[in-house]
Amino acid sequence: MTDSILQVRDLMIGYEKALTPALNFTVGPGEILVVVGESGCGKSTLLSTLAGVNPPLSGEILLGGKNLSGVPIHKRNIGLVFQEPLLFPHLSLIDNIGYALRASGESNNSARLRATELLDWVGLSEVTGQKTWQLSGGQAGRVALARAIAAKPAVLLLDEPYSALDPETRLRLLADVKNLVTHEGIPTIHVTHDRSEAELLATRTLTW
Amino acid sequence: MLAQHLPRGLKWLWVIPALLLLTFLIYPLVKLAATAWSAEMLSELTDSTLWEVALLACGQAALSVGLSLLVGIPIARVLFTYQFRGRGFILALVTVPFVLPTVVVALGFRSLFGDAIPNGLVLVVLAHVYINLAVVIRLIGAQWSTVDPRMEVTAATLGANPFRVFTTITLPALRNSIVLAASVVFIFSFSSLGIVVVLGDGSGTRTLEQVLLRSTSVLLDFPAALAAAILQLVVVSLVFVISARVSRDEPRATVVLERKQISGRKTRLFVMLTCIVALIVVVSPIASILWSSISSSGGITLKWWSELVSTSNTRIGSPIAALGRSLGLALGTAVLAAILGGAIAIAVMSKKGFVVTLALIPLGISAVTLGLGILLAFSRGSLDLRGTGALIPITHALIAVPIVVAVATPSLRNVDPRRYFVALSLGAAPMRAWWTAFGTVFGGVMLAAGGLAAAVSLGEFGAATLLSRTDSPTVPVQIARLLSKPGESAFATAAVLSVILIILTMTLLLIVDRTASRKVLT
Repeated sequence: MTDSILQVRDLMIGYEKALTPALNFTVGPGEILVVVGESGCGKSTLLSTLAGVNPPLSGEILLGGKNLSGVPIHKRNIGLVFQEPLLFPHLSLIDNIGYALRASGESNNSARLRATELLDWVGLSEVTGQKTWQLSGGQAGRVALARAIAAKPAVLLLDEPYSALDPETRLRLLADVKNLVTHEGIPTIHVTHDRSEAELLATRTLTW
Repeated sequence: MLAQHLPRGLKWLWVIPALLLLTFLIYPLVKLAATAWSAEMLSELTDSTLWEVALLACGQAALSVGLSLLVGIPIARVLFTYQFRGRGFILALVTVPFVLPTVVVALGFRSLFGDAIPNGLVLVVLAHVYINLAVVIRLIGAQWSTVDPRMEVTAATLGANPFRVFTTITLPALRNSIVLAASVVFIFSFSSLGIVVVLGDGSGTRTLEQVLLRSTSVLLDFPAALAAAILQLVVVSLVFVISARVSRDEPRATVVLERKQISGRKTRLFVMLTCIVALIVVVSPIASILWSSISSSGGITLKWWSELVSTSNTRIGSPIAALGRSLGLALGTAVLAAILGGAIAIAVMSKKGFVVTLALIPLGISAVTLGLGILLAFSRGSLDLRGTGALIPITHALIAVPIVVAVATPSLRNVDPRRYFVALSLGAAPMRAWWTAFGTVFGGVMLAAGGLAAAVSLGEFGAATLLSRTDSPTVPVQIARLLSKPGESAFATAAVLSVILIILTMTLLLIVDRTASRKVLT
């Protein structure tokens, strides 16, 4: 499980000037670190930096003790779920979920089998044949989560997912997320501006 | 952000369109200027005949603008503010003239009016109105659909009669789109060639583009050609500048309001009459061409169609050979434009804006000028491409490039780049992730680029006249030549070729609409 410990040391993030003070934290297996803050405070930039989309201004990101500096996005094994589900519209639901498995070289059959299991697991087996754009917001959110989990990420980053959904659906999905990452033991960082969401999910919170 | 993370293989791909555009667009234009720039050219530029042509062309273009607005505005009102059955069909129908080859439209008008209206200003203006109707309807209609009808109701409750409401509320709200539509129609009519060559033949109605073509292909007087090209460019640029100054600097409304249901007898009658008029206006010339292709002085006949295959009609070459040639050139153009379009799409993603700017240059340069530059640049020494048959596809691909950019840029910007990062975070290698996120749109852009460019190539007249050899014309050139010959047979053969060209162009555009644009819009 030490492979799944994310350590952040003196990390400064931003574009030209730093958006945050130097950040230091660790997230271990099954932990959910919730980053709470107002819009524009750098929450999403933190996740982009951890995922490798943005370079850090300074500091280190270590995963399982390995420094991620210079490691490209696709080799980090860090799952990223945005506010919008961003499903691939030309792929079926099963192919969306099995995408990571196919990318890692698994056979089509085995990827589809696993994807079907995951779709069932997120409670959407009845919509298997539907197109991505035929799903409701909540359903698309579940598929996006299943797609990220299928990759067996070492760390999961959630950038205000489901915030565009109605409160009831959002709370239900967040409860699912909590059960899932706790069950799978995936270190998770979730950013939100909503303190009640933080209370529901967090094993720890981070603000600046 | 995306530009930094593009797959290594794609990061430098923008160099390809940049090099192609520098070689086949900028170099020929520089070569043209260097070849023809002389004291003689400067004296041509002050020649009163040239200015007379420019002034007459301005008058003709102004008349075309006025009449286009007069016919187009009511149709725009009906199609963009009312909801009724058949609306989509009528809208598609009024777009058809815009995509028809100009010589085909010219033939349609000649065939429709026969001797009733002789060649000259009236026929030229009517044909320009016909072609540009779609520009007026779509540009003005798009803005009209964002104007809140409650403003008109409010004005009416304040005592304004319908005419006053229209002139004081509706027209000012549409001002920017009217200015834009008027500028586009002016430029198209001012630099028109195919229509003027056929319908202005024997009259004093001419354009600078025609002077340019004649100076180049008949008189071999390059200084005179460059003078005409420069004067044309000045007028076109002036129109752009005036249009920008007259337009109001206001935020563009983007919320399209729901269209009104038709209520009341008067409105119903207005909508019905407008649609019937639009239908008749659009269909008549096309029906007339079709009729000319299956009729003779003796009645209905299919002999013009059967003769198409069997004859090497007249001394200006076989029509069927011209058809094969045009199809081959269209295919070549499609391949070139698809490659260029795809590479430009990558340049858009790489944020290489100057490549896009380069690609838009053909918009301001006439087809004949472009063709002349290419001919001068690639007809000598080791750069002689005349024997390769590549000059026309290259020129046609360049003419189509601005359309490709117009289609590609918004659709590529519409794709959320975060999809690429999601695919990467799922472990996909950069090239695979890129294809997952952008492949569908990219494929659509290439298909659309190829299809649109092929349609442009099939109907293009100016550059093809200049670049095709006398014994191997393209279909539009062949049609124009047939129309300059006397006799029923030549006219009917031109009509048959026009029908084939209409079918080919419409089929191509339908395929682009059904496949490429759907992919692009997904």
